[in-house]
Amino acid sequence: MSLIEPIQAADEDSLAHGIAKTSRPGFVRSTLLGNRAAMVGLGIIGFFVFVAIFAPWLEPYDPTEKVGPVYAPPSSEFWLGTDDGGGDMLSLLIAGSRVSLGVGFLAALVAILIGGTVGVLSGYFGGATDTVLMRFTDYMLVIPDIPLMIIAAALFGRNLTNIVVIIGIIYWTSTARLIRAQVKSVRERVYVKRAQALGAGNRRLVFKHVLPQVAPLLIANTVLMIALAIFAETFITFLGLGDPSTISWGRLIENAFTGEATINNAWWAIVPPGVCVTIVILACTMVGQSVEDGLNPRLRVGHVSVKRFRVRPAGTKAADK
Amino acid sequence: MRGADYVVKRVAFALLTVFIAITLNFVLFRALSGDAVSALRCRQCSAAFKEAQRRDLGLDKSKWEQYTLYLRDLSRFDLGNSVPSEKPVRGELVEPIKNSLPMIALGTLFAIVFGTLVGVISAWRRGTAVDKGGLYTALGFYSMPTQWLGLMLIFFVASAVGLPSSGIKTPTLGLFTDASTWDLLIDRMKHMILPALTLGLVLYGDYALIVRSAMLETLGEDYVLTARAKGLKNWAIVRRHGLRNAMLPIITLVALSLGFIIGGSITVEYVFSYPGLGLLTVEAIDKRDFPLLQAIFMLLTISVIFFNLLADLLYFKFDPRVTT
Amino acid sequence: MSGGVPVLSVEDLHVWFDLPGGGELHAVQGVSFDLYEGDRMGLVGESGCGKTTTILAIMGLLPSTASVSGKVILNGTDILVGGEATISPHRWKDISMVFQGAMNAFDPVKTVGDQIAEPMVLHGMATRKSARPRVAELLELVGIAGDRADRYPHEFSGGMRQRAAIAMALACSPRVLLADEPTTALDVMVQAQILELLVRLSTTLGQELGLTVILVTHDLPVVAQVCDRAAVMYAGEIVEMGRMSAIYHDPRHPYSRMLFSATPDLLGDGEVISIPGAPPRLDREIVGCPFTPRCDSAFEPCGTIRPRRVEPVAGHEARCHLNDAGLTGVAS
Repeated sequence: MSLIEPIQAADEDSLAHGIAKTSRPGFVRSTLLGNRAAMVGLGIIGFFVFVAIFAPWLEPYDPTEKVGPVYAPPSSEFWLGTDDGGGDMLSLLIAGSRVSLGVGFLAALVAILIGGTVGVLSGYFGGATDTVLMRFTDYMLVIPDIPLMIIAAALFGRNLTNIVVIIGIIYWTSTARLIRAQVKSVRERVYVKRAQALGAGNRRLVFKHVLPQVAPLLIANTVLMIALAIFAETFITFLGLGDPSTISWGRLIENAFTGEATINNAWWAIVPPGVCVTIVILACTMVGQSVEDGLNPRLRVGHVSVKRFRVRPAGTKAADK
Repeated sequence: MRGADYVVKRVAFALLTVFIAITLNFVLFRALSGDAVSALRCRQCSAAFKEAQRRDLGLDKSKWEQYTLYLRDLSRFDLGNSVPSEKPVRGELVEPIKNSLPMIALGTLFAIVFGTLVGVISAWRRGTAVDKGGLYTALGFYSMPTQWLGLMLIFFVASAVGLPSSGIKTPTLGLFTDASTWDLLIDRMKHMILPALTLGLVLYGDYALIVRSAMLETLGEDYVLTARAKGLKNWAIVRRHGLRNAMLPIITLVALSLGFIIGGSITVEYVFSYPGLGLLTVEAIDKRDFPLLQAIFMLLTISVIFFNLLADLLYFKFDPRVTT
Repeated sequence: MSGGVPVLSVEDLHVWFDLPGGGELHAVQGVSFDLYEGDRMGLVGESGCGKTTTILAIMGLLPSTASVSGKVILNGTDILVGGEATISPHRWKDISMVFQGAMNAFDPVKTVGDQIAEPMVLHGMATRKSARPRVAELLELVGIAGDRADRYPHEFSGGMRQRAAIAMALACSPRVLLADEPTTALDVMVQAQILELLVRLSTTLGQELGLTVILVTHDLPVVAQVCDRAAVMYAGEIVEMGRMSAIYHDPRHPYSRMLFSATPDLLGDGEVISIPGAPPRLDREIVGCPFTPRCDSAFEPCGTIRPRRVEPVAGHEARCHLNDAGLTGVAS
């Protein structure tokens, strides 16, 4: 019974209730650009990616060599001091970014690929496929993640590839659930059904219609997965199960522990690697969370606010009788 | 009682899951044992030795036989014998569990109390500096690797405040002089504080974010606007309508996370050399003590299932909308 | 419209919303009307015309991204002047509201009765216990059995919840009731029930309660049945206001005319001939009459001069150059 639907960039009703609608195209971009936290997060990640890529050129010394005394404090020669083997901490830190970020990204990729596929298949086809896949996911969810990861690492993986795969295999489940829910709701949308009626094949429907709708959520989830993967790598390495031939931030933290940096008062061996990990995970969480929040319109509406609406003196704009 | 059949259904489902978990446990560890034995590469590991190992672990029998034996043993609470010590696994578990539980409970309590406080206030004062502060401290602690936080606490806090940084009791206590029960208790507590704090801080980050999120969503609901229209002030709205509704998702998420807490405490116990279940797990992995690992794993899985069930039931109890 | 002092008087109300990318949306552009006791005024227009914002502004329920100017005079005092501070004491006691989609207006974890009693307790009119008989009375008033007060909202049907929301709005015996789209999203049978309730509220019941009603809707047959006055809104302003019969039979603004002629009849089945085009964007200054692009009677001054409010007939005002004797030189 309504009259014409206005196609305005800002909807009066939503504004009245405190939501600002965004127009469709470039939606992800508008969420990120509008949100300073996400921009900062992205900048931080970008910085560390840069460092990781150009590591060999940025390191002042060869990280694997003993270039100074054991546990030397920071000086102009060694900006972050040396570790328990006499290696330059700064170089170690820079070198470590490669493995930490690399493992993080790759493991997240594995998790997203598995989880995304399961989620799409489950959500799209429904029925028996859905039930079976979801039951399987439920049982995977019940297994304690960290113990399983540690056992698997102890038995199979003391090299990087295995670690990446292990992390990916353990953490795909949350993505699967998320994607499945999203795919289900997208599937119900009219135009997908319409395309079906016109005879578009499943493949085409999934790639052209479903995936683009699911993409923003997938991206947010990927970023959060990266954070989780970096976290997981530090755990595995810390317990001595990491790849002995590589340097990562997790290994640096482990070194600090086994090398008894605490007793040697060598804060420069303890603080920096952890700070790097924390900052990167924080940045990923900021980006991922703000995109997820952006996709959840209900979080934007706040009926309880300490800020109030403002009252202006009369006669500010178009005054007429 | 409302929905007695719902409760029964959920419990039955949980038991079924436990059974499946037990079976998967069996499959996993028999496979691992088999692999491990064949992968043994040590000087004494002649074929005969490996055969002896297999027989010890019962791997020479058929799969089905092994399975039935396993189930029968379980029903008698016989968890097998630990490989290195050859003592019953059951006994090995008691002390570590007794050590872990209070420490974890302390940390979790800390996390829940402060997480809820910060989360609620953050959401109530959304957008202000208080909110930003709460949000970023929570995010910060959430992003820290647990073991690193532990190391940091050891380095910066332990000696400064006079707290021990490892173990569960001071070795010299009660050795040369009599130590009263009270002294022993205090000593215990002192050793528990830092590990519990480490665990608590990381969990706090997680919980504060959960609570804040849940509360923000709740405060966007229509009935909150109605409450405001009725004339209620902000804090009254949060207290009367916000909390009760936000509690639902919060309880569920917290209960679910509890199932995974032992995993989280592994690194904490490792850093602090705290002889709990987590440390035991690491040692067992190190020594390839499969029977022990199998038992621990089963314990952990059951605890996850248990907490899932708890979350289900709590939600059911507190949400009048949920019907069978 | 009885004489005397108006119960509610809105003078030159403007509302702006900050837009996320900067700039402002001028959602309400100078709305003014006087409401006398016993009036049943309908506020009609398309989605986005500013009617919901107007009544939210009267209640002071705008978000922090909003700014307002103008006066809202209740019983002689301007309650808008101090913003939240001056408005909040009057909420529910003097002016109350039934929201769009009132089905969700109830907290799912509290009983309906508790929530109806809540404002009474809050404003010190009763305790939870002493409010019980009144709660039952209110429920009966809207056609719900009184003993259902101890049920939870999910145990009520959508229509019942809507009626309960109306009961809740009457809890503190307000003088003015603002109802925003009370029949939208309800099925036809339920709509009829609510309508009947609204009619009763506006007439017999209303008189007993001394109630004045503003009904916001885009549903014309509803307005025609329930209201004795109507204000038509377009692009944030009232383009025509007067007695229901006058507007219905002698619309003075092309928009109202097209609206009413588009509706088949009072018992319309929901199919409406839509007016081609779309309302103007409110984030920029509008030159001339905002309806010009869609108007079938637009002429020379419409594109450049903003129409002023005129009263071609006593008690019937319109913002349209066609009525402006000064411009056309002819009184239409």
